[in-house]
Amino acid sequence: MGASLQTFSNLFAQAEAVPEGTSYWGWFAYVGFTLLLLFGAIAYAKRGFKERVFKNPLAQAAEQMYLFIESMCVNTIGAHGRKYIPIIGTFWLVIFVANTVSLFFASAPTAELSFNLGMALIAVGYVQYEGINLHYHALRQKGRDPVTSIVFGFFLHLRHFAGPKLHWLMAIIITPMIFLIEIVSELMKNVSLSLRLFGNIHGGHEAVEAMNQLGHSAYIPVGGFLLLIKLLTVVVQALIFTLLTCVYLSLVTHHDHEEGHDAHDGHAEAPVLTPAH
Amino acid sequence: MEMIGLGLAALGVGLGLGLIGYGAMQGMARQPEAIGRLQVVMLIALAFVELVFLLTVFVAPGSFVHFAK
Repeated sequence: MGASLQTFSNLFAQAEAVPEGTSYWGWFAYVGFTLLLLFGAIAYAKRGFKERVFKNPLAQAAEQMYLFIESMCVNTIGAHGRKYIPIIGTFWLVIFVANTVSLFFASAPTAELSFNLGMALIAVGYVQYEGINLHYHALRQKGRDPVTSIVFGFFLHLRHFAGPKLHWLMAIIITPMIFLIEIVSELMKNVSLSLRLFGNIHGGHEAVEAMNQLGHSAYIPVGGFLLLIKLLTVVVQALIFTLLTCVYLSLVTHHDHEEGHDAHDGHAEAPVLTPAH
Repeated sequence: MEMIGLGLAALGVGLGLGLIGYGAMQGMARQPEAIGRLQVVMLIALAFVELVFLLTVFVAPGSFVHFAK
């Protein structure tokens, strides 16, 4: 796939006279291509939603995807997970389409570390925002003013990192250590999310190039046999990124769900069978 | 030397992935109704083990990059 195939990134890199992979415009071309595919597919799928029975195949696929994302959210986060379907679905679509681009082209948005790091920062940042937001709403329901609610919500969210309640003598020694480790692990979530996706997709490209060397003299693209494995990787990596985001969200919101039921249970948007409490 | 290190890393990750597959398959065979749940947990575990290999590859000085070019 490498130098023999002239793709966007190569052409842009040649025009800018820089080595391939360092051309930002070449990479933006892949991002633009991915977004074009994504919006085009969604726009086409949306046209099918007007019918009473979905005959448009893309609309049917979109419906199946929605059901899949919904079941993932509800199973992982709980009954209040329906609220997070939009962001999880967005992540899934972007990663899936970008990974699919990587099947056919020499590079892809998800084969760049910066794109993945950006998505991971959004995911982990959103998790923190949700953690503070739930505390904020719980405090607002109790009649606090907004500013106090934000400050208290922030500190209540920080308490989440401090580990279990201990005897004060133990707490002086152990709680700072747990706090530090939790903060570091929170930061490492970004690294692990982004590096996993980048390593899998970029590694797939490198493996294809290395295998292409085998049949290079006979002009046989042996690396093409890796397409099936790469197809599996495409689906699994999209699944894993979204699933881990769901798990992080459930970790942040689960604690709140047990304590402050009244805070966010009266939502009309969640017609879920919850027992009376 | 880098090649040996990469091979060792691949060996360890192969063993780990195999163990996960072994455990998950055994669980699925014993409780077929839990297949959906087990698959999800298995995929998460696979992702974590794979990450170790990827970290090794990136930390190893230029082994992977050198290998490809």
